Amino acid sequence: MKLDIVFSGIGGQGIVVASDIFCEAALIDGWDVAKAEIHGMAQRGGSIVAHVRVGEKVQAPLIERGKAHIILGFEMLETARVLPMLNDDGSVIMNIKYIPPSTSLVGSAKSLNHEKLLGMIRDRVHTLYEIDGIDIANRLGNTLVVNTILLGALSALPENPVKQEAFEKAIALRLKGKYVNLNLKAFQIGRKQVNLS
Amino acid sequence: MNAKIAVDKPGSFLLLNGDEAVARGAVEAGVNVAASYPGTPSTEILETIADAAKNFGIYAEWSINEIVALEVAAGASMAGVRAIVSMKHVGLNVAADAAMTLAYTGVIGGLVIAVCDDPAMHSSQNEQDTRYFAVHSNIPLLDAGNPQEALEMTREAFKISERLQLPVIVRLTTRVAHGKARVAINEIVKSSRKAEFDKNASRWVMVPSNAIKQHRVLKGRVQEATELANSSKFNVIEDNGKEIGIVGSGIGYYYARSVLDTSQFSWLNLGFVYPFPMEVFKRFASKVKKIIVIEELRPYIENNIKCLYPEILGKDKLGLDEIGEFTPDAIKDAFVDLELCEKSETQEDLDLPSRPPVLCPGCPHRAFYYALNTVNQFVVCDPQKCTGCVVCEYACSAEKEKVFNPIKSRIRAIRLDAFSNLAMTCRVCEEAPCVAACPKDALSRSTETGVITVNEEQCNGCGWCINACEYGAITLHPNSRKAILCDTCNGEPVCVQWCPESALSFKGRSTDKIVTGDIGCYTLGFLPPVNTVQTCLCMGAGISQAAGMIHAGVKDKVFAVIGDSTFFHAGMPGLLNIAYNKSNVCVIILDNNTVAMTGHQPTPGSGKNALGEQTKIIQLEDVARSLGIEKVEVVDPFDVEGTRKVIREVLAYRGPSVIISRRPCPLLIKRGPTREILKECNSCGVCVEEFGCPAISISPERAEIDPTLCYGCGVCEEICPFEVIRSKE
Repeated sequence: MKLDIVFSGIGGQGIVVASDIFCEAALIDGWDVAKAEIHGMAQRGGSIVAHVRVGEKVQAPLIERGKAHIILGFEMLETARVLPMLNDDGSVIMNIKYIPPSTSLVGSAKSLNHEKLLGMIRDRVHTLYEIDGIDIANRLGNTLVVNTILLGALSALPENPVKQEAFEKAIALRLKGKYVNLNLKAFQIGRKQVNLS
Repeated sequence: MNAKIAVDKPGSFLLLNGDEAVARGAVEAGVNVAASYPGTPSTEILETIADAAKNFGIYAEWSINEIVALEVAAGASMAGVRAIVSMKHVGLNVAADAAMTLAYTGVIGGLVIAVCDDPAMHSSQNEQDTRYFAVHSNIPLLDAGNPQEALEMTREAFKISERLQLPVIVRLTTRVAHGKARVAINEIVKSSRKAEFDKNASRWVMVPSNAIKQHRVLKGRVQEATELANSSKFNVIEDNGKEIGIVGSGIGYYYARSVLDTSQFSWLNLGFVYPFPMEVFKRFASKVKKIIVIEELRPYIENNIKCLYPEILGKDKLGLDEIGEFTPDAIKDAFVDLELCEKSETQEDLDLPSRPPVLCPGCPHRAFYYALNTVNQFVVCDPQKCTGCVVCEYACSAEKEKVFNPIKSRIRAIRLDAFSNLAMTCRVCEEAPCVAACPKDALSRSTETGVITVNEEQCNGCGWCINACEYGAITLHPNSRKAILCDTCNGEPVCVQWCPESALSFKGRSTDKIVTGDIGCYTLGFLPPVNTVQTCLCMGAGISQAAGMIHAGVKDKVFAVIGDSTFFHAGMPGLLNIAYNKSNVCVIILDNNTVAMTGHQPTPGSGKNALGEQTKIIQLEDVARSLGIEKVEVVDPFDVEGTRKVIREVLAYRGPSVIISRRPCPLLIKRGPTREILKECNSCGVCVEEFGCPAISISPERAEIDPTLCYGCGVCEEICPFEVIRSKE
């Protein structure tokens, strides 16, 4: 078994935490795991990509281009950016949210919009799960759980070998006090998003 | 035990990144003292040790810079206990003076220098290769390729250090330091060492007569280290009986293993790389026919073996250069070219706009930069809105001359083309051509406001200034025949108030000041639309670069921006230097009370130390005054106009000065009330195109604030020329 996942989004969206929880869960479930992430120049607002690899034995944390099984996209432009990482029959879970970059005042970004991006991504991806994470999170009463909702969706994909209980343990391990229950709830709702579609 | 690495179950697994693994290795080895200065990607080493310090009786500190950290660790080691010091690659340059001679004196307690290199410069200003620092200083170096190796090497490095009586470098690269992996942990050896200093002047006092002896001692230790390298468990041969042998070090070795069929090659993983383990290499070379070298950055292994094995395939022949980092794809391409593995088809990148790093929403640095950029404001006209109605001309003449007569106006409406009009007035140019052109020296520019005034006694109405102004902002008064131009009505221009189309606004920004920069979040002020910062060399350089420019005669006044932590790290000598040498530099200390970029470590100004204990708060203004600066001002950057006022004051001041711009990093405090933009917004663009807040986006109709991104700093509300931004609460 080998599973390669690319997490992609913007600094501040909780990518580091979500990918940490995934790795922690895989470890609890007895898998070897490796992850690469970049803490770039900006604390908030820049592109963030994390590569997560799970298997019996993992040699190195970076995934080869065109070999990722799953992309977990936290934002549409950043999802589109890592699409070449995906293999031909890979799946994409994407938060339906476009945050224009600071370069959107000039050049090619000027003509880019929500619909255009979504069209581009739909054209290229065979199995795409579109999730309105912010809407669901707002209904849960906290916009900051979008990452856990997406993680829940990821856990429900048939490709994922890591057991649900392991995720629950990992969430309790990584998060603090009152946020554990909220995130467990978000995780469950996230799972349903994939099961429904 | 709350701390993440404080788990006492040998043989169990933890999910650790390379930094955390180094910390665990040090704890397992019974480290007693740890010191560091934050620097990506090495920061989490000390952070993790500090987190566990109380569990194991370790002393951990954030030192004010890397050389201090190394000296603290050296002192501890001289007293016989184990010490670790951690830093990023460029931090080792700062610590180099101590490191070079520490190799001569050697150490007593094991001393490990953990250094994180940053190939591809994810967060650095260069990509130097620390393996060559090891050669330069004669300090043995272990090169970790994954977190497990980082742990084992750190643990072992203490033993090697004590055996050789030399410090030992454990080198990581970004992908190892910030890559997480399953790591098997070992037993923790609790230290029972008692600190004692053996006074031995011939060893510790490095005057020439002693140093020359110690240099010879060092050479003997290097000899012994070579033997250790040749028998080290970190230099591993995997002989698969194949013709082709791959030798590598660091993460590149593991990338190669992950993209290739490992059984088709023989492998040599070099971990103890300085002194170079030539005997191990020779043994490997005798088993294979062809050798391929995989190493990031400089061709260190290659250069060591090329004289004996000139036919090896190294950087040039593989097409893997020494710039940037390796990826599995790049290594695979190299092997495809050698016909040693099959090419896989991949898709092209989509044509998408980049998302460069930006200052966060709510960042006080942005607010200060905005104040600095807009310190000299002037009347600006939007040609899309101007109807050419000339109400501004009437308003101006009425205000200045008490008549409605456009000929006496300081602002002039002109028709640009068939579709647009424009009202022009003085732009308060910094190097004003009108002032330079005047043969009678009648024109002068205020250093504070930038407003240009005409001395009527001296003006002879020659009109040279009119020809010099490319904006057509100067005219002659019809009666007096003297030059007249806009004086901004003391900062409240009447024309702006009267413009019926809201085409005029009093804003304007200039980036024609010279502003040297430094290293920290605020370096991002070089990016558009802020465009304020113009240099970034190394920690502390900005102040002295500014001084150099002043003494070269480039300008009257140069600004230097530096963060609070960077100032404590390397800015103090530069500040003392400008006080001593009377340099007309204004040093701006952007004080957000934390080391923000590396993840919010405490600073000497924050009142907390690495262990979370209360400590003395070192006030920046006290430090600045004590270093000889007489003009020291403190501003709140969120009070933009108040900040401008102080900047204007400083512009008029002769001599070295300091402005401390004080506001905590927004990521450390509760968010303020979210702002919203009313539908009356006319999309003037000040908040986006000039202020540059990433929480605001703009369309031709109006600007909009994303409530999930807004930190509620409220600066946009303050600077909006049309007062259409307000708090949601």
